[in-house]
Amino acid sequence: MLRRTAVALGLLLALGAVASGQELTDKNYEEIRRQIMPTAAEEEWRKIEWHPTLWDGVIKAQKDDKPIMFFAMNGHPFGCT
Amino acid sequence: MIARRSVWTDKQVVALAKDFVCCADEVWRLQNLGDPDCVYFRQWCDLGGQLNGDGAQTTRQGTYCVSPSGRFLGSCNSRSPEVMAAMLRTALARWKDLDKKSRLLDYDPADRVKDINRAEKHYPADGLVLKVHSRDLNRTGLNPADWRTHALNLDFCWFRKEEMQRLVPRDTFTRDTRWDLPDDLVRRSLRLSVKDNVRGQTPPFSNEQVEKAFIKCKVDKIKKGVVYFDMEGEVKLAAEGRGIEGKIRGKGAWNVATSKFEQFDIVISGTRTGRTQYNAREDDTAAAGIGFVFTMAGDKPIDRIAPAEFGSYGWR
Repeated sequence: MLRRTAVALGLLLALGAVASGQELTDKNYEEIRRQIMPTAAEEEWRKIEWHPTLWDGVIKAQKDDKPIMFFAMNGHPFGCT
Repeated sequence: MIARRSVWTDKQVVALAKDFVCCADEVWRLQNLGDPDCVYFRQWCDLGGQLNGDGAQTTRQGTYCVSPSGRFLGSCNSRSPEVMAAMLRTALARWKDLDKKSRLLDYDPADRVKDINRAEKHYPADGLVLKVHSRDLNRTGLNPADWRTHALNLDFCWFRKEEMQRLVPRDTFTRDTRWDLPDDLVRRSLRLSVKDNVRGQTPPFSNEQVEKAFIKCKVDKIKKGVVYFDMEGEVKLAAEGRGIEGKIRGKGAWNVATSKFEQFDIVISGTRTGRTQYNAREDDTAAAGIGFVFTMAGDKPIDRIAPAEFGSYGWR
C-alpha cells in the first residue's frame, strides 16, 4: 500500500514537472531564452518598411504621392495585440 | 501574433507592399477618440463594409488601403495571403485611376501632429526601453498545426531616465557590490508585463495582486568601465481565476561613463493558471509553463510602440 502511494505520488510530481515551468538555472538560461524569443521566420514581418502609426503613414504617403496600406488591430500590431 | 506571421511574411504580399506606404496602429483609439487621425480613419473605414460585423462599437481591426486624401481603395480582415494580395492588387488599380489632385490632401498632414495625443509621445529616448516577448514553454501533446501551440506575443516596458538610473547603485562599484532593483519599478514592470498574453490581450495585475516580486543583483565583473552583473529573483501574481509564478534570472551591463545600459536581459520561467476573457485559454486553464524575455529594444520606429498598459505608468 505504501509502495503504491509512493508510486502514485511520484507520478503526480512528474506530471507537475511537465505541466509547470522549467526550473531556471545558469545552465539552461540560454536554452529557455531561445525557446521564448522569436525565430527568424517570426521576425520576417519586420522586413516591410512599416511606419508605426496611421498618421506617420499619411505624412509619408502625402510626401511621396503613394497609396497607404494600413494594418489595424486591437492592441498595436507591433506591440501587444 | 498570428497575423504578423501569416500574412506579412508572404512573398507576394511583401512584394505588393512595396507599392504602398505601410503603416499600422491600434484601432480602439482610432474608433473612439476625436484626434485628427481618429476622425480621418472613421471617414473611410467602413466604406468597404464593416469588416467584423455590425455595430458602432464592433472592432474595425483589419487591413485598409486608402489614398492620403482619404479615398477608400480596399479593405479585408484575413489571415490568407491570397485574399490580402488580391485586395492589394485591386487597391493599386483604383489608386492608378485617381488623378493627383484627388489622391492628396489639400493641407500638410505634418501640421496636425501637434493635435494628436498618443502614448508614444512619452517615449523615453534617454531612458531604458525593453521588449517583452512571451510564449508557452515546450510541452507535449499539443497539435503542431494549431497556431496556439506556437503563439508568441510582444509588449514593451519603459523606464524614464531617472528611473533607469535608479536601477543601479549611486556608489562606486566593486566586485562585491550587491543591490536590489527598486521595489516600485520591479512591481510595476512585472505586474504590467508578466501576464498570460501569449495568445491574446489580457488585463494586467493590480499592485494588490502582487504576492512576490523582487530582483537581486550582484556584480560579475568590471571591465573597461562597464559593470557586468547578474540578476536573480522571483515573481508571484494572483488574481481571481488566474495566476503566474516564476523564477527570474538576468544579465546586465552598465557603462559607468555614459550612464547607459549596454545590456539588460531578463528571463522568467514559470507556471500560469486560469484564463481571462480574450486570451484564448478556454480549453487550457490548467497549470502549464510560460516564459518571458525582457531585452533591450532597438531604435527603429516600430520599436517605439508604447507599452500596452501605458495608462498605468502614471506618466500623464
